[in-house]
Amino acid sequence: MTVCTKCGNPKVVITRKQSGQSLCSDCFIKSIEKKVQKTIRREKLITKGDKVMVALSGGKDSVVTLDILNSYRERHVIDLCAVTIDEGIKGYRDEGVRIAVDHAKRLGIEHEVVSFKDCFNIDLDEIMKTDNHRGSCTYCGVFRRWIINRQARKFGATKIATGHNLDDESEAILMNYLEGNINNLSSLGAITTSKSPKFTPKIKPLREIPEKEVGLYALCKGLEIHLAGCPYAQESFRMEVANILKDLSKNHPTIMYSTLKGYDKIKPLVKENYALEYHDGDCEICGEPSSNKLCRACTFLKELGKEVNI
Amino acid sequence: MSFTASFQNKEETKDFKEGLTIQDVLDDLELSSETVVAKQNGDIVVEDTEIQDGDEIKLIQIIYGG
Repeated sequence: MTVCTKCGNPKVVITRKQSGQSLCSDCFIKSIEKKVQKTIRREKLITKGDKVMVALSGGKDSVVTLDILNSYRERHVIDLCAVTIDEGIKGYRDEGVRIAVDHAKRLGIEHEVVSFKDCFNIDLDEIMKTDNHRGSCTYCGVFRRWIINRQARKFGATKIATGHNLDDESEAILMNYLEGNINNLSSLGAITTSKSPKFTPKIKPLREIPEKEVGLYALCKGLEIHLAGCPYAQESFRMEVANILKDLSKNHPTIMYSTLKGYDKIKPLVKENYALEYHDGDCEICGEPSSNKLCRACTFLKELGKEVNI
Repeated sequence: MSFTASFQNKEETKDFKEGLTIQDVLDDLELSSETVVAKQNGDIVVEDTEIQDGDEIKLIQIIYGG
């Protein structure tokens, strides 16, 4: 019978293919927390006195990010707040918002729910009913980033924490590499900063934790999470790359980690030669940093015959 | 001799066979152990755990595409 490699408990919740290690619930929780703390320390993701805003969807990744960062808040290292974005996806988003609200209330942290409808006078369901739309994920990504950046300034946050896990990060690295997007490649990593004072640095505390282990951590800790797939999720190049990596991982269980670590080694060189150019300009409509007259959010809204609510 | 397996609000009663594991149930339902966590009578278990007669197996999908 398999027992926990650390304490001998027979109730094993995971056997890690990459190390052969088997862990019980308590030892698994400790191992994840230790690993995230190590990433935070090594990459200098937070400094004492930071106010960290978590982009909290209610899904496993953001709930676990909030849970682990809350231990820093409890030790008075940081202050914590959260934003939840309601894209307006009927039958999907409401449950995630409820779970996010409950977690924020439980922890007693500052929290705001911000909707596409309030900011842009149109929600994602309405966008998807328009002719010639650009596809749900394009709007969702751009509009969400717009809200997150703005809300971070409103909260006075010094860092934005997102729930990107090892699978997300290794997919992004491989995808950008395969597409030759070396400029985009330069902006990945544990912490993303910008010369623009309007952009708050973004941190990814879970980037070394495999996606399944993030979900398992939430279940082991009894954290309520929104378990559902976005109804607009569609076949994409990203999904194809994700499937390749998952397939490779079956016989090469450390492949995602080595993809990440290899990238971290070449990142300084990529950044030096291919960093995205900094444009000291603002969008004419909303005032957000933009290299063109209009930012991407305002460009999309113009196409949709809408304008942002400032 | 049977056990129940539930996945996404659907519960099925299955015939129990000696030596049957969680992985066999996942294979039977064409589910990947990479996206699903299994509970045996409320406890999280690994895929090579043997199923016992009368067990309640709950399969929780924790990874969704997209």
